[in-house]
Amino acid sequence: MFFRMIRGTLFRQWKKMLMIAFTIALGASLASAMLSVMLDVGDKVNQELKTYGANITVVPKENSVLSELYEVEDGGVSGAYLREDELGKIKTIFWAFNIVDFAPFVNVDCTLEDGTEVQCVGSWFDHHMDLPTGETLDAGVVSLRSWWELEEGQWLDEQLLSDSADAAMVGKDLAQKLDLKPGDTLRVSGPAADRELRVAGIYDAGGTEDMQIYLQLDTAQSLADLEGCVDRIEVSALTTPENELSERAAKDPSSLTVAQMETWTCTAYASSICYQIQQVITDSVAAPVRQVADSEGAILSKTQLLMILITILSLIGAALGICNLVTASVMERAQEIGLMKALGAQNLSIALLVLCEIAITAVFGGVGGFFAGFGFAQLIGHTVFGSAIEMRPMVVPIVAVLVVIVTLIGSIPAIKMLLGLRPTEVLHGR
Amino acid sequence: MSLLELKNVYKIYGDLHALDDVSLKVEKGEWVSIMGPSGSGKSTMMNIIGCMDKPSKGEVLLDGVDISKESKKNLTNIRRDKIGLIFQQFHLVNYLTAVENVMLAQYYHSIPDEKEALEALERVGLGDRAKHLPSQLSGGEQQRVCVARALINYPEVILADEPTGNLDEANEEIVVELFHKLHNEGTTLIVVTHDPEVAEVAQRTLVLRSGKLSKEIVNENFTGKIHFD
Amino acid sequence: MKKRKMFIRMITASLMRRRSRMIVALLSIAIGATILSGLVSIYYDVPRQMGAQFRNYGANMIFTGEDGSLGLDEVIAGEKKIDPAELVGAAPYRYENVRINDIPVVAAGTDPQGVQKTSPYWRVEGSWFSGGGELLVGASVAESFRIKSGDVIDVSFTPAAQEDESGEEEFVMDNFKTFTVMGILQTGGSEENYIYMSLDDLRELTGTEGSIDVAELSVSAGQEELSAYIDAINSGVKGVHASLVKRVTASEATVLTKLQALVLLVTIVVLALTMICVATTMTAVVAERRKEIGLRKAIGASDKSIIQEFMGESMLLGLLGGALGSVLGYVFAQQVSINVFSSSISFRPVLVPVTVIASIAVTGISSLMPIRSATDVDPAMVLKGE
Repeated sequence: MFFRMIRGTLFRQWKKMLMIAFTIALGASLASAMLSVMLDVGDKVNQELKTYGANITVVPKENSVLSELYEVEDGGVSGAYLREDELGKIKTIFWAFNIVDFAPFVNVDCTLEDGTEVQCVGSWFDHHMDLPTGETLDAGVVSLRSWWELEEGQWLDEQLLSDSADAAMVGKDLAQKLDLKPGDTLRVSGPAADRELRVAGIYDAGGTEDMQIYLQLDTAQSLADLEGCVDRIEVSALTTPENELSERAAKDPSSLTVAQMETWTCTAYASSICYQIQQVITDSVAAPVRQVADSEGAILSKTQLLMILITILSLIGAALGICNLVTASVMERAQEIGLMKALGAQNLSIALLVLCEIAITAVFGGVGGFFAGFGFAQLIGHTVFGSAIEMRPMVVPIVAVLVVIVTLIGSIPAIKMLLGLRPTEVLHGR
Repeated sequence: MSLLELKNVYKIYGDLHALDDVSLKVEKGEWVSIMGPSGSGKSTMMNIIGCMDKPSKGEVLLDGVDISKESKKNLTNIRRDKIGLIFQQFHLVNYLTAVENVMLAQYYHSIPDEKEALEALERVGLGDRAKHLPSQLSGGEQQRVCVARALINYPEVILADEPTGNLDEANEEIVVELFHKLHNEGTTLIVVTHDPEVAEVAQRTLVLRSGKLSKEIVNENFTGKIHFD
Repeated sequence: MKKRKMFIRMITASLMRRRSRMIVALLSIAIGATILSGLVSIYYDVPRQMGAQFRNYGANMIFTGEDGSLGLDEVIAGEKKIDPAELVGAAPYRYENVRINDIPVVAAGTDPQGVQKTSPYWRVEGSWFSGGGELLVGASVAESFRIKSGDVIDVSFTPAAQEDESGEEEFVMDNFKTFTVMGILQTGGSEENYIYMSLDDLRELTGTEGSIDVAELSVSAGQEELSAYIDAINSGVKGVHASLVKRVTASEATVLTKLQALVLLVTIVVLALTMICVATTMTAVVAERRKEIGLRKAIGASDKSIIQEFMGESMLLGLLGGALGSVLGYVFAQQVSINVFSSSISFRPVLVPVTVIASIAVTGISSLMPIRSATDVDPAMVLKGE
């Protein structure tokens, strides 16, 4: 009989129940959309922030300092280098998936025919790598220096092997000074060799790089007889904003307890990624680039906090909306409940009946709303970031619990009122 | 000319003949009861006389106007101007005070006048309860507010649907006495009821059975005044 | 106008005496209005607030001398072209080669207050330097010279050799100055290879007036505004060549556009859903009163007057809810701003009428449909049924 009664309400009062289900669905969709976006916004914004370039630099351990110092003074060469053949290892660390991009650099001071001193930088442009893990990776300055603009010509294409070894990208200021156009040739003499280079393109970096020449890594290495050597690696990684723990760990990982150590290594802090890079690259020092890492942290945490607050507001809105309607629609049934009481229904059974009806409605509304909300999240993801919002399993229980609590709370005052009814009053139409 | 005249009125729902060839006349100032068991077509008749429904066939002349031909909008106007309704369930607006409920009828009719509304309440003996909400009034008091509301616009006809159906005996007597008072003042009263005691006191009782007028009882002893002693 | 008085009396009675129901409706409208005004304020404030966050990336504009030398006065003249409210900070730099223990190091003379504003990402262990022989040492330099903060070191400078009449280089004595190391600088970038002191100290050490090599400016403004400043300075201030730090400005523009689009879309989705919520609540509130509508019709109310009354009531609710919501929305936006960006939000008076009108419109439209359908109902049915 109990089920018959519930079925009766659901089917015969389907319009009213549909409205409750609809409101619950709206609330649930709002909640799940906002939660999905909120949980994913960190990753998405992080990805966007990669336009600022590398947030980790790796330099040789020994005298990493003095190399640059001497460079200023006499353009000399310090003895320490990183090994080119180890570069692939960066993609084998625990946080390999967080490493979006990286490129090696080797600086060689050269002289041009007219005696102008220029710095030639060897690097990757669109380097294609087959990793030991079986994956492939395309990395290099084209993506790492996304703010560079190509003024004339074309980017140096590493895949065209025949052509690229002698090709050079020339900074805009240098090109202007030497009056170079794409297709021109220029002769550079490095410490170890001379080379005839062809200008492939001219770039505008908006910084000191505009006075430099960018070459393919092995071309630059051959100029200074530095085969297999790398001055510096720049890594662009998705990181978690630093906190007290990560800063302590960065200074001295051995000061952490085992549990803290575990938290640290299992969180994508810039410092823990640095630590792992140091372990795979021989004699290296990896350090976060404060300018990028700190700002990323600030912007990320602000964005996340902003989204959390907006989410909370919309959750409150959704909750109150559901509460309102449930209360209103349960109260409407005063007469029916009065009749049931007159027929001898116990308070408990009435409460149970009403709750069951609402619970069934809520389940339908909640499930529908969840999927609709996920759709909204995708809409936001695709419109704003051009990629899908990841479906987080944790959204499901949160939304479910929320819907249950909210509908229950919404029904409590109404049920209380219904239980307090005196059948005579109701039936006499007061 | 009669105030109200039904000529061969039918109301048919599918196969059901709720009203089946009913003809009757009510004169101005008359007090008529309509009686019958439930399902006999009382309510249908009441709705038709009250301009809330139209007959399927036949003519309904109220004050010489055939209301069966009028549009819905005009029916509302006729109802507003000529008919005062009293319901079994009272139907007061529960968030308006007694006097405001009376004024509501004035408001839709013409211009609300609180003084007049208070006078109307005094006439039904509720002068001191004017500021109370329906929930603070007893059933009898609520029904008297309803009567005051029905009276306020000086309707041609007061149409009461089971006016005592929800009242205890004492309150029933008060309401019936009110009807007497109204009758003495010249108001036309049509009371639909299945309570013989209430029906009897009228000048004339029409008995409905299965949609037909089966009997008409004229109250020979009607004096226009009833004495409770 | 007695009739209007009764109209108002009825509506207020309905609002006041059905208090609990009306509060429920009012609450839902107020929440809708709060979300509307709150999110719209946030939306308009995000570029400004986030823009300020992006200033963490440091300078986005640099001044260099047109002929290689730049005077402090010229830098100040250039700064004057920028709206002081938008200028976050400016720091001039003068680089000189100096020696510590006879090993060459690059020293930068600058203005510590300016640097703290243009390069907020600098991490200093110890304390910042000010004038009077205080020094900030880059981490790499500190490591190679084994310098700790608190150390006292001598810095020497070799003045440019001057030729005497015979063409031979005159022997010049090195200048010495003693500095206290106040802090060690960590940036993860090339700044770690320099030592920093005040411009006055550097002038004293070198013994020459020298010139500014570069001035870094951090300006909180959009891409177009920045370009306008660049043009104004390059054409209006003699001796100063201003340019944008492309890496910072270009990236900021990309990210900021996305962020604003995100907040906009979120606002639209949340608003749409909230408005529907308000609409369903209003539908429920009106639907509940079908019986009352039937009664009013029975005692002679025309459809028009019923619609007027109920709409009047809904719109009054909308007005109250909207007013309440615009206040709450401002409070919410303010809280968000303080919690997230630790700065207050500017009050936008325009939002109040917009919120109020929007909530009146939403409540009005969402009640109109159920009221209309309720007036179609036969009064006899309503009164008999139930």
